[in-house]
Amino acid sequence: MWLKHLWMRRRIYSDLTEEIRQHLDEKAEALMADGMSREEADRAARRQFGNVTRLEERSREPWMCPFLEGLWADFIYAIRQLRKNPGYAFTAILTLALGIGTTTAVFSLVNAVLLRPLPFPESERLMWLSQQDHSLPGVAAEALSYPDYFDWRAQNHTLSGMASYVSSGAILRTREESRRLDAATVSSSFFDVLGASPIVGRNFRPDDEKPGNRAAMLSYALWQSEFGSSREVAGSSINLDGTNYTVAGVMPRGFQFPLGHPAPALWKSLAEDAEGKDPKTGQRGFDVLHVIGRLKPEATQEQAKADLSVIAANLARQYPDDNKQYYSALVKPQLESMTGSVRPAMRLLFGAVTMVLLLVCANVAGLLLARGSSRSGEFAVRAAIGAGRAVIIRQVLVESVTLFLCGGAAGLALAAGLVHAAPKLMPVEIPRVEMAAVDARVLLFVLIVSLVTGLVFGAFPAWRVSRSAPQGGLREGSRAVSGTHGQHRLHTGLVIAQTAIGVVLLIGSGLLMRSFLQMMNVDPGFDPTHLSTTRVAASFDSLTHDQHFLFFERLLSRISALPGVQSASAGWPVPMSNSSATISFNILGRPVAKGDEPSEALGLAMPGYFETMRIPLMAGRTFGERDGVAGRPTIVIDQAFAAKYFPNQNPVGQHMQVRLGDDVFESPVREIVGVVGSIKRKELTAEADPQFYLPYAQAVITNPFLVVRANGDPAAIQHAIGTVVHELDKSVPVYEASTAEQYISNSAAQPRFQALLLACFAAIGLILSAIGLYGLLSYVVVQRRSEIGLRMALGAQRSDVLRMIVRRGLFLTLVGIAAGLAASIVITRFISEMLFHIQPTDPLTFALTAALLLIAGLAASGLPAYRAACLDPIRTLRQ
Amino acid sequence: MASSKNTEQRDLFPGALEMMILRSVLRQPMHGYALVQHIKQRSNDLLQVEEGSLYPALQRLLKDGLLKAEWEISPSNRRVRTYRITPAGKKHLERQVSSFERMFEGITRVISPAES
Repeated sequence: MWLKHLWMRRRIYSDLTEEIRQHLDEKAEALMADGMSREEADRAARRQFGNVTRLEERSREPWMCPFLEGLWADFIYAIRQLRKNPGYAFTAILTLALGIGTTTAVFSLVNAVLLRPLPFPESERLMWLSQQDHSLPGVAAEALSYPDYFDWRAQNHTLSGMASYVSSGAILRTREESRRLDAATVSSSFFDVLGASPIVGRNFRPDDEKPGNRAAMLSYALWQSEFGSSREVAGSSINLDGTNYTVAGVMPRGFQFPLGHPAPALWKSLAEDAEGKDPKTGQRGFDVLHVIGRLKPEATQEQAKADLSVIAANLARQYPDDNKQYYSALVKPQLESMTGSVRPAMRLLFGAVTMVLLLVCANVAGLLLARGSSRSGEFAVRAAIGAGRAVIIRQVLVESVTLFLCGGAAGLALAAGLVHAAPKLMPVEIPRVEMAAVDARVLLFVLIVSLVTGLVFGAFPAWRVSRSAPQGGLREGSRAVSGTHGQHRLHTGLVIAQTAIGVVLLIGSGLLMRSFLQMMNVDPGFDPTHLSTTRVAASFDSLTHDQHFLFFERLLSRISALPGVQSASAGWPVPMSNSSATISFNILGRPVAKGDEPSEALGLAMPGYFETMRIPLMAGRTFGERDGVAGRPTIVIDQAFAAKYFPNQNPVGQHMQVRLGDDVFESPVREIVGVVGSIKRKELTAEADPQFYLPYAQAVITNPFLVVRANGDPAAIQHAIGTVVHELDKSVPVYEASTAEQYISNSAAQPRFQALLLACFAAIGLILSAIGLYGLLSYVVVQRRSEIGLRMALGAQRSDVLRMIVRRGLFLTLVGIAAGLAASIVITRFISEMLFHIQPTDPLTFALTAALLLIAGLAASGLPAYRAACLDPIRTLRQ
Repeated sequence: MASSKNTEQRDLFPGALEMMILRSVLRQPMHGYALVQHIKQRSNDLLQVEEGSLYPALQRLLKDGLLKAEWEISPSNRRVRTYRITPAGKKHLERQVSSFERMFEGITRVISPAES
């Protein structure tokens, strides 16, 4: 209704104006008929009519919505005010854009990573399932084995479906070339549980799990790149790892699971794992499966946990050798299990960015206050001619909200840019970060943040302005000694708060930075410089184990002969490459009950591996030619292993048996021939845990990493390595060419990113708190210019004035620093878990931060103080 | 001054002006100037309506759909905006007049000396 009137109003108003004009005309004519002159008649007509403008206004009122239109008028006025003061508007909007933009960017990351549901139907019912390892303290999740998974799948009552998956690789051989692809081996129910189905061909069937029925599901990307999007591909046969797979179908564009990196290019049915003499599907101790389940509509997470725990307990009783310690189940929503590890980091980010936003708001509130008091004359005039207190408050609030909305819009643009750049800056380990985008939820967030901060931080100045008495305001323009006291206190408080927030941000970033440096100083146990690492995918199907070993032996001798190569060897896994295997063993002469055998990390090494990696030898010898295929079974342990299992004896010469479940190698009794230094296997911050090494010739169970120490840049020789591999065998793909330093850097990507980001925030914080102080002092100088002039006229030296202003600035800074240090002692406790070898109350960081802010405070006071000292007393007193 | 006297009269009770306008227009459609003259004459100049104050009232009645207005040429060959009462306006007037009469009767009874 009101909207309709809005359209018709122009017409209605012009009718009204015309009508009133005609009225006056008619009246004047009537009066002229009574004998008045034209002029007299006009005047009399107007007098008798009343105040034409006022009455016309009142006549329009029935058609208006006074509240909204008042707001609109205030808004237009606010925009005009901003345009009239471009300097002020630019500063305020830029500051706000910085605060709102960074906050929004971080919010859209948090939104993408933590809040947005997984891209599957009813994804909140998808649960991550595992068994609890009760031999370890706390919550220790252990993957499932195939037999356990099959039993859970068959016996549970709470899940409508349960699927297993394990990441793997596959070599796709086409007529032209061989490509190594990332893949996952999945159970037949995998796609059903996720709620997805192929767009071409058929889904996996239970039969696909049986030996001989190897089937593959293609990802959309692979279908496009390798098969030309041909629909004929379904049902056809492709060569993977040297054997034939039937293509079941193609998944829709965008479908991916597991999420994260690397995305599988295809999914294999688990028929492969069901084949052979001792298939993996029959080994209850082979705990490698990730398992997801979909809750039945009526079931809850707790019921599923209870249900599966009963099954696990039964299995533990039935198969104590393998399952003794796994007598209960763990159930967690899939989203939570995916994002659990990045939650603290996201919280830190959000906390830091909230502080930046607060700082920005305090800064702008200071600007608004200063501006409000410089406009006190204007408000006094308004109040004097009848504007109510509510009207003035509304006007000031609308002005600040308008300002914040402009800042929000600019911030949104900034956020869009930041979000666009984020995946390139972020460590890839954060799942789903590349899905961050400015969506409806982010827009809503910006709107709410702008409105709320605008109202809250506009409220101070509005309240202040509305309280000032009109007479005071009118007089102030002429000669005031200083601004109103309350206003000044408020502004001062804001500046102190800004300094305090700046201190907290700087200390937080300082701590993370020092922690990161500590991390980088950790000795990884080997020498990562000039070390190139490459993987080659020699086929296990076309080569026997002996041929496999020979292939690598020949390859290494050729690589060693390359120019620029110091030494070359191969081993598995290279540190921090995310590959690992834990194998159980027993030490001869120390009988343990079956199922209680200890297990530790396994390593494989070709001769020269320790020398190339520069892992020091502590006792005995390393592997050499004699530890070959036909040689005596041997083993090398590391220092941590020796310390744990042979605390007060010489391990060299002792014997142990490694239970490597492989169908070719029995588990021979091996002699410990050497002890080497411990290395950081997973990350620099972790303790070096025990590890043992087998000669690769005696345990050909996977393709090792080629490790090559170069004289110069390790990346430069990688091409030559690839060429050598292809000279030997054209069909062997080379992949994951990298360097040891790269692996280390990736393992520390998250702390580096956190430190970097927080440093950015802290820099913003430092600058803003300095600007805040500068703004306040400049304002004080303007306000007190006549007082300063008076002092100078009465004999104060310029240096006295300078000192007076700087002293004021330093005092505020010191109070802010003290408050910030006190707050930091409390707040840094929350990041103590992210700190490595550094106390959350690290005195050096605290001291440096205080010093830095003091310098900033001094710098910020300098210019206003100088300006005050340059005041001309005669001019200021005349004003 | 004239305006303060008028204010006094107009503020007698709310809705009075609207009622008089509707009653006048019911008898015969007319334009604003004529309305002012009509009300003055009928009240024997007892009610001195500030001429302009008619227009806000007219706009309120228009907006509530109690009146409608059209541009016409008057007998004196002047372009005028003539107001007519609508069916809703008639109903409204009836209700207002009867409630006014009841109120007036009540007031009369209270203040007439015969009853006390």
